[in-house]
Amino acid sequence: MSTMFTLLKIEGKLVWKGIDILIFGICFPVILAALFGYVLSRDASAGSSDFELSYAAVITIGVLATGVMGLPLTIADYRHRGILKRFQVTPVSPLQILFAQGIIQLSSALVSFMGVTLVYYLLFDYQIAGSWFIFLSVYAFVVLAMYSIGTFIGSVVPDQKAANMWSSIAYFTMLLFSGATIPYEVMPRFVQWIMDILPLSHGIHLLKLVSTGRETEGMTVPFLILGIVTGVSLIGAFKFFKWK
Amino acid sequence: MVLKVGNLTVTYGQKKAVDLISFEVKPGQAFGLLGANGAGKSSTIAAVLGIEKSTYDELVIVGKSPIRNRKEIFEQVGVQFQETHFQDKLTVSDACEQWRSLYKQTADLPALLQTFGLADKEQQPVKLLSGGERQRLAVLLALIPEPKLVFLDELTTGLDTKARRMLWKQLVTRKEKGLAIVLTSHYMDEVEALCDEILILREGQTVFHGTIQEALVASGKTTLEDAYLHFAGEEDWG
Repeated sequence: MSTMFTLLKIEGKLVWKGIDILIFGICFPVILAALFGYVLSRDASAGSSDFELSYAAVITIGVLATGVMGLPLTIADYRHRGILKRFQVTPVSPLQILFAQGIIQLSSALVSFMGVTLVYYLLFDYQIAGSWFIFLSVYAFVVLAMYSIGTFIGSVVPDQKAANMWSSIAYFTMLLFSGATIPYEVMPRFVQWIMDILPLSHGIHLLKLVSTGRETEGMTVPFLILGIVTGVSLIGAFKFFKWK
Repeated sequence: MVLKVGNLTVTYGQKKAVDLISFEVKPGQAFGLLGANGAGKSSTIAAVLGIEKSTYDELVIVGKSPIRNRKEIFEQVGVQFQETHFQDKLTVSDACEQWRSLYKQTADLPALLQTFGLADKEQQPVKLLSGGERQRLAVLLALIPEPKLVFLDELTTGLDTKARRMLWKQLVTRKEKGLAIVLTSHYMDEVEALCDEILILREGQTVFHGTIQEALVASGKTTLEDAYLHFAGEEDWG
């Protein structure tokens, strides 16, 4: 127990000393939330307003930054530097230090979630239409999917350079083309086709449905797609993972 | 015996990196694994520690198997790998605290920091330490569990004379108290200062195994360096 506590404390310090997560995972989505509040239409005559729909998208940015950037970069870095190898010759499994990192990254994503939610609620009187319980369950599912993808990237890349490249590709593609920043609805049809391939688009679609109280509408397909992505990523990560 | 290795073999694809090596280490004994780069020293250590796949007739560390009893073994065994890297932005005190948290019983940290000359560097990021200081930290961490056996892979490569002597002195003191040491080195003065027994590897095979005195006699040379070159087959170079 005290081992895990110390690992969390020290890995936490290391993560917060690097300001990447603060900028990409927390400041950026909070600022975007504030901008959306001023810019997006709050006309709800056609069901839900653009602003209401944007909430589900902006809360995933923190998940994306920590899960698809922070996590794989750390896994690749710790393997490349031989840190995992050093843990292999102690009584503690190297998995514990990766687990500690995962928890720290996840806690940053939750801070981001709370920051964005506070902006929507306090500055712009937003309220989700559906049930919080279902909404949080879907959010947890999206977190699981994104962290699986991140773990997969961290496990298969041969070195630090490849980790940087692939996690950047995954991060920026999903940031721009899954509706996290630019809403799915305003994209031209052919871009939407591309967006339909990206797993986060389905995650955001699910979150939009549950945040606007339309839980029953067509959730099966996105659920299946995210589930398959999660399964394949985890199996792949497990199969290709190397300690050194 | 703290360590028993019987007919250890490590194979990479078709190539045998380590071929049927056997040796034993007693408490208070220092054992030197010597050989040119790529002779199989680090592969031997990795295989003995159970982090490299190998075949063997016998592999026992502090009475147990490193494959099946890894948790118990590594409570009593310290390891310093060739070139130790740390997490970016980690400070000396954080590195020590993290390492201490991994073990049930640990050595007195302030005393260790004092003896290794790192007491005033505690708040420094590891990245900003000099090569010698970082290496001393790596050895210090290997000694944190108060091990019975310690593996030191290229103990003083890249260190200045003063730092090397200081490390040797620390290790000799601990050896006298019963610490067993397995080390690899390219420096014969280091081997003479520390090792009771040596094993010279050439392309994964044992070409000599015995005491330094025996190496001199068997090779017919007057210095260990010449004897080493004789066995390691590096003589013809120059």
